[in-house]
Amino acid sequence: MVKLQASGLSDTGRQRDSNEDSFAIDNALGLYIVADGMGGHSAGEVASKVAVQIIQRNITNWINKEVNEDELFDFPDDTLGRMGNYILSSIKLANRVIYEMSKEYNEYKGMGTTIGVLAVMPNAVISANVGDSRIYLFRGRAIEPLSKEHNMVSEQLEMGLISKEEAKNSPLRHILTRNLGSLETVNVDVFEIEPKNKDRFLLCTDGLTDLVSDEEILEMVYQGDDPERICQQLIDEANERGGHDNTTVSLVVIDNLGDKKPGGIFSRFVHRFMGKK
Amino acid sequence: MARVILVFNKKVIKEYPFTKENLTIGRNEENDIVIDNLAVSGLHARIDKSGGTYILTDLQSTNGTFVNDKAITSHRLQHKDKIAVGKHLLFFAMSQEEQAKAKEAELDRTMILDTAQHKELLEKQAKEKGMEVSAQKERLGVISFIDGSSQGEIKLTKKLTKIGKADTSEVRLGGMFMPPTAATISRRPNGYAITATGGRTKIKVNNETITDSRFLNDFDTIEIGSHKFQFYSQESEEEK
Repeated sequence: MVKLQASGLSDTGRQRDSNEDSFAIDNALGLYIVADGMGGHSAGEVASKVAVQIIQRNITNWINKEVNEDELFDFPDDTLGRMGNYILSSIKLANRVIYEMSKEYNEYKGMGTTIGVLAVMPNAVISANVGDSRIYLFRGRAIEPLSKEHNMVSEQLEMGLISKEEAKNSPLRHILTRNLGSLETVNVDVFEIEPKNKDRFLLCTDGLTDLVSDEEILEMVYQGDDPERICQQLIDEANERGGHDNTTVSLVVIDNLGDKKPGGIFSRFVHRFMGKK
Repeated sequence: MARVILVFNKKVIKEYPFTKENLTIGRNEENDIVIDNLAVSGLHARIDKSGGTYILTDLQSTNGTFVNDKAITSHRLQHKDKIAVGKHLLFFAMSQEEQAKAKEAELDRTMILDTAQHKELLEKQAKEKGMEVSAQKERLGVISFIDGSSQGEIKLTKKLTKIGKADTSEVRLGGMFMPPTAATISRRPNGYAITATGGRTKIKVNNETITDSRFLNDFDTIEIGSHKFQFYSQESEEEK
């Protein structure tokens, strides 16, 4: 069994009246979700909540029933394993539901949300995202993105139109090129990596990354071992710097991956000798 | 309606109401706001109206464009912003209604552009910089065996490719000490990375033993036990 520690916190910040972010934590499944809603009145809040619920419920249901990839919401992606397809399909389903809701009801017109989903399992870590909510891996005291940013600025950067420095202050920072809810279908970026003992992961909304740099996040993530305290410190930092937006953070720490892989033909004997299973 | 007020030597020269989608600033006669001064470039800067916001862009002018005394390349204008172009000042003023709207927009700034809109905007910017825009293609990783085995080349189409003895591995390798999974190669946001999974088989990249993860560059040589292969990437068919 993988031993995981995780915490999640969401904060309205200092300037807004309501919190349109949502998140979910399920340590039993190793499933973590954050969403940053957008849209007037309370529609943003509805979009992010609906997305988180649909994704969590469907993945849980599919895992319990061991549903075949071919029976999911959309065609399976053969570059992914089964869990990767569960996540991909649940996000596409959430997109469709939010899209239909916004078409059907006037008060939900134009609503949408970003999404970040992370699954930590003994043999794979899967990350998936749409929009500008991010997922980071911390391994060997280094920070690495496990998500893609779907906004104008990242596309300008990739095309070489602007420099990194210009990107930081660009007025186009908050213009997304993808989200859940605005189109009937959505492209999702999904990544799969091999987990390592002591890996840490952070899911967060742009309330944090607008104000705190990657290097600063890296430093703060290794200040202690209690995920809840680290989450609180990250939120406090965003608020101290103005807290202009809602901020949601979720930190996951792999305490122990367990003995999942025997190392060659002798390992069974070694493990028996050492009194391990 | 927003206005731009041109000021020189503390005197108001002229007021320009924002009646179109954009206003250009420069020395040439064709500009909407003509400033006849050598410190000002022919086509110096432009203000674009986009929804309820106004974006000022410096058009790579010789002497730069400043907003509230800071050099900018691109800046979202706010009520009472002071734009400096050479020795001339331009004050940006919004109507009360626009100010109220801008305040609201400030509170809910995240917005979405549809694919057609954002492609168009990017292409426009690329053209301004004299760049060709071609569809960006993903790079696909390939491993090519160079140990005389019959494995040849294997395309790394999966997000996570497992390498080892197990039947479920995408790349199957034999050998007495080969664990079910000796290493994995993952396709990550920053490129392909190889990870040693902790078996007893030694994993080397360019003759260096790795115990953790490492990003792969084109033509890196990887050894897993007695097996040896090279990594490289090629343009994939799929568009980003």
